[in-house]
Amino acid sequence: MIEFAEVTRTYGPKTAVSGLSLAIPKGELFALLGPNGAGKTTTIKMLVGLLRPSQGAVRVCGFDMVKDPRNAHLHIGYVPDDPNLYDKLTGREFLWFIAEMFGMQQQHAMQRIGEVIDNFELADFADDLTESYSLGMKQRLVFASSLLHDPDVLVLDEPMVGLDPRSVRIVKDLLRKLTHQGMTVFMSTHTLAMAEEMADRVGIMVRGQLRFLGTVEELRQQMDKQATNLEQLYLELTAPQAMATGPILSPARPDAP
Amino acid sequence: MHSPSITPVATTSSVAGPPPASRRLPSVEAESRLLFGLRARLALAALKTMLTQARLRLTLVILLSALFWGSLYGLFYEGFAFLNSLHAEIISLLFNGFFSSLLLMLVFSNAILMYSGLYCSPEARLLITLPARPEAVFFHKFQESFWFSSWGFILLGSPMLVAYGVVRNAPWTYFLLLLPFMVAFVVIPATLGGMLCMATVACVPRLRMHALAIAITASTAGAIWLGWSALASARADSLSPIWFEQTMSRLAITEQKFFPSWWLASGLIESASGKTALEGESGAVMESLRFLALLASNGLMLQLLAGWLAARIYRLGFSQLSAEVTARRPLRISWFDRMLTQAGTAAGRPLRILIVKDLRLFRRDIAQWSQFVIFFGLLGLYFLNIRSFTYNNSYATMIGFLNLAVVGLILSTFTTRFVFPMISLEGRRFWILNLLPVHRDQIVWSKFLFSCVGGTLPCCGLVLLSDMMLGIRWPVVAIHEICCLMLCMGLSGIAVGLGALLPDLREASPSKIASGFGGTLALVLSSLFIMAVVLLAALPTHLYLAGLGADAEGTRRPDLVGWAGSLEGVWAGVAAVVVLGTVATLLPLFLGLRHFRQLEA
Repeated sequence: MIEFAEVTRTYGPKTAVSGLSLAIPKGELFALLGPNGAGKTTTIKMLVGLLRPSQGAVRVCGFDMVKDPRNAHLHIGYVPDDPNLYDKLTGREFLWFIAEMFGMQQQHAMQRIGEVIDNFELADFADDLTESYSLGMKQRLVFASSLLHDPDVLVLDEPMVGLDPRSVRIVKDLLRKLTHQGMTVFMSTHTLAMAEEMADRVGIMVRGQLRFLGTVEELRQQMDKQATNLEQLYLELTAPQAMATGPILSPARPDAP
Repeated sequence: MHSPSITPVATTSSVAGPPPASRRLPSVEAESRLLFGLRARLALAALKTMLTQARLRLTLVILLSALFWGSLYGLFYEGFAFLNSLHAEIISLLFNGFFSSLLLMLVFSNAILMYSGLYCSPEARLLITLPARPEAVFFHKFQESFWFSSWGFILLGSPMLVAYGVVRNAPWTYFLLLLPFMVAFVVIPATLGGMLCMATVACVPRLRMHALAIAITASTAGAIWLGWSALASARADSLSPIWFEQTMSRLAITEQKFFPSWWLASGLIESASGKTALEGESGAVMESLRFLALLASNGLMLQLLAGWLAARIYRLGFSQLSAEVTARRPLRISWFDRMLTQAGTAAGRPLRILIVKDLRLFRRDIAQWSQFVIFFGLLGLYFLNIRSFTYNNSYATMIGFLNLAVVGLILSTFTTRFVFPMISLEGRRFWILNLLPVHRDQIVWSKFLFSCVGGTLPCCGLVLLSDMMLGIRWPVVAIHEICCLMLCMGLSGIAVGLGALLPDLREASPSKIASGFGGTLALVLSSLFIMAVVLLAALPTHLYLAGLGADAEGTRRPDLVGWAGSLEGVWAGVAAVVVLGTVATLLPLFLGLRHFRQLEA
């Protein structure tokens, strides 16, 4: 569903992402972890078409994000860390706009809008201008809009920022349900507990390189720390001395394209 | 959840399959309709908000626009009535000069508008992650910049063109065709600006800053050359026939038949003439329509080219720009900042640190200092040109006062646009300030001092330059400088005081804060304050210098005019200015400080 093939992205002399090879199959929830400046946001930006790779290719459902971005976008739902909404549209109008941009037929769009409004409990404020929304309300609306067109791939950048505990629970339940139904979820997060709880696999990026790729259990085995949680493993893997002295693990198994 | 797998996925598109029937990419027409519908909904919502929440601003905008339009119409009517008696070629030269300058300005202003719309706006970041055609996004954002350009051009150009039609006694078809001509013309520079913007961002991202620097240098050099040539050619022979001929020959360079400005000028002149030598009135209309068709067809062709270009390079440019590396700023404290921080007493140190912080933000905000430099730079050029003309003493003094008013008005736009929102923007970082050992009053005073000192230096310098060029006597220069100082203090007091009294802590955009109720009120009060200051000082000074306060024998008239026109009247006027300036400074600051002390973020 998602494929990074030898992807490198440079910012001038700085390499933000270096030779990233990663394949995420249908129905997997993948969590990308890493310290600030590790290259997570750059990876997400390349995945949703905001950035082009300097080398390599990013494909979504087989569609190259540079060569065929429109068809790739048709299969993606994207929840950015900073929700972009139109201040002078109501939540419902925004949902209609997104539905029409994805070419949804009117009847189907109406039904889906009703569903996402119910799922994300937007009914109380769906007809207010979004300029009056709190961050959490905006985030819920963006979540709802990203799922309107039943995407095959859902890309989440720090999805829980601004959400109250109830909304977090709604999102978690929904993500479980959607991955069971075959949706692929690519999530960048600093919330390690959530990654441990939800993710099928995690990838840990450090300085633009994937230092680990696998399940949390595999990470424990490789680090030889059976009774340790992801937070502890992550902190050890990304500690300054570990980063300075090179990989403490065997290199991440790249998913060859 | 299913068991994890690291087996690579197949890379063919077969994994996706065709999208479901209920989800197909919208056609070009459907996408255009959708984005146009979005624009209409947003405009309606904004209008509704304005009608319910910003009536004062709307009324002010309409009234000032009407006043501006009427004044320009009167000015142009008199001008054309004067020129009507001269050769018709002069009108053609003037139109070509005006429209070709406008063409160039519109290209650059649209390039800048499109840059912020296409690459820096949150909307663009949203649309680029949706399955929207890049050309559709381009045209969607183009509508915005086109609207801004058309609005400015119509407000500036229509009084001139209507006055021309009235003076020439043009047929009704001329007035009917005015709007289509103007709109068809603006499409061309607006589209060229959009294309220039996309090409610059996509093709020369690394060189963009250099390109910008070269363009600014070239524009500045051009402006200096124009100013110098005007100065050099117009010393003693101002407004003489030779000077007039020289000026006309310089303008002839703008009469190029492949310029859209020539098509516009020719079409309008043809339309206003009402008839051609051979075919009569209908022939003139047809000829005019041909020029309109020429403009429209070229505009449409450019639109096609722009769409083609956007489809190829818009996404590339967006990516290039996102990958831009921001320059690192190693901690280097400039000698000025260090001096300002360390000078004075320890008690005033927090105040000075706050001022240094604002100064640093100002220096790094291109939007602020570039507008500051452009407006005051243009004003400086204008003042340098004043000496091309000779005036008598009373007339020169009045021009000096008008220049003072212009300086005040420009400063008021800066204080309203940039200084008024400062407290609101600081409010968003309230938690930082609340934790610091800084008294809230010091925050407000630091803004006031920053604005007042920052405004006084260039403004008093410009007023001094204007007076020197006009050859004004030193006592009047002193009056002008006192007035200027009071203007700087009062305008800063109004902006900072009202900014603290009516802050908008939720809004992040300074332009939106400035265009709200508080900003509009600050602008209105600033304008009234400037008028009052200038009138209080100018009237007695003028009466005194023109000798209107005395009768033929030189004795003072017994009425109010006599008193106002005496030396006492002049000093009373200056004293009133000082009192008014002090009140305008302290009253808003007092109210603002009181409110700001109790403010809860």
